[in-house]
Amino acid sequence: MQEAIKIPASLRRMVAESAVVVVGRRGCCMSHVAKRLLQGLGANPAVFEVDDKCEDDVLVELRAAELPVVFVGGRWLGGLDRIMASHITGELTPLLKQAGALWL
Amino acid sequence: MMNSTSTQFVPSRRMGIYEPIHQMSMWGDFKGNNCLDASTPMILEVDPKLDNQSEDTSHGTVGHSNKYDQEASKPPDKVLRRLAQNREAARKSRLRKKAYVQQLESSKLRLIQLEQELGRARQQGMYTGSALDASPLSYAGSMNPGIATFELEYGHWVEEQDRQLADLRNALQSTETGDVELRIFVDGGLRHYCDLFKMKATAAKTDVFYLMSGMWKTSGERFFFWIGGFRPSELLKVLLPHLEPLTEQQRLDLGNLAQSCQQAEDALSQGMDRLHQILGAAIAKQLGEGNYLPQVGAAIEKLDDLARFVGQADHLRQETLQQISRILTTRQAARGLLALGEYFQRLRALSSLWSSRPRESS
Repeated sequence: MQEAIKIPASLRRMVAESAVVVVGRRGCCMSHVAKRLLQGLGANPAVFEVDDKCEDDVLVELRAAELPVVFVGGRWLGGLDRIMASHITGELTPLLKQAGALWL
Repeated sequence: MMNSTSTQFVPSRRMGIYEPIHQMSMWGDFKGNNCLDASTPMILEVDPKLDNQSEDTSHGTVGHSNKYDQEASKPPDKVLRRLAQNREAARKSRLRKKAYVQQLESSKLRLIQLEQELGRARQQGMYTGSALDASPLSYAGSMNPGIATFELEYGHWVEEQDRQLADLRNALQSTETGDVELRIFVDGGLRHYCDLFKMKATAAKTDVFYLMSGMWKTSGERFFFWIGGFRPSELLKVLLPHLEPLTEQQRLDLGNLAQSCQQAEDALSQGMDRLHQILGAAIAKQLGEGNYLPQVGAAIEKLDDLARFVGQADHLRQETLQQISRILTTRQAARGLLALGEYFQRLRALSSLWSSRPRESS
């Protein structure tokens, strides 16, 4: 592939190495919501901040409509809608446990 | 499309003291494509992965084997097209914002001109009224058509709600009503709430402050307000005693749901506090210089986040309602919906009863 890699290697590394990653726009309050929810459950999410300028590139690469997006156990989980919904249905906590994000 | 000066919509008593924030109404009316309606990245629609995920979760797993790949069941080009549409909508939104700020600039110049003329006229003794003491930016009067539409639709929504509740009450009281019929009521009731969330999403695009202030609701309901509507955890507390008898499993599930709701609400509330701080700081930057456009312009950028909050809160409400209906039997869900509906009816009645109470003559 001749295309320039638009996602920094640091993000790929973070996703591979951290149990939970929140990718969000710098200073965005919705990212803050995602972070606080995960922290409230006992997880300690790694945070990858995206500049306004790079946001479109990141979105294209991640094939997402908007930020924030969350990765759990190296796998794509979804945006804030998905996080909230999966928490309400009770799926989120087992997922986090499985990924080793929770210590209890 | 409504002329903004038309008075066709007679204000219902629910409107109360609505003071339109016209910076935002101009925003909504502003020339440009309104195609955001089709592809807005908000609540119920947006995330294409949502559709994929819901198929996944029934098998107990979420996520993909490959980090950045899409679920194979959805044709990739359809999804890519949708994503491209969303990005396009966001781009158009940014352009509209730019154009809007430019319009603000020219309005400001005009304002300065008018103030100067007024000042001159005053000195020459032509004005004796004190109307000019009011801030030049108070636009009492003309309504935002998007909001007027919403209020009208909301009035219809409440009427329909009252009808549905009356029918449901009759159905539950009759010994002949079976689960199949009740299921229709429950599904209809849930869908009716979804309709309201969709209406709110549309209204949020024209005036998010209006949504946040709950001006379409009665003052009694506003007392219990949380980010544009009811608090899901509050809902559960109201419903619980009316759902008995419950099985142990149901009790457990509802307990977990209550906790999850609370956690989700806390996260959203904390995000709102953050937005509050950021917005306040943006507005308060460099006061005293007389020029307000850069600061107000920057603040407007943050208001997109506010609309997202209302969307997320409504999404939470919807998910909670659906989870409750999953946990309960059809009959329990029907009873729950009736209890919920009556609870809101009482709140609506609270304000009008309060304002019509006999007062001591002084």
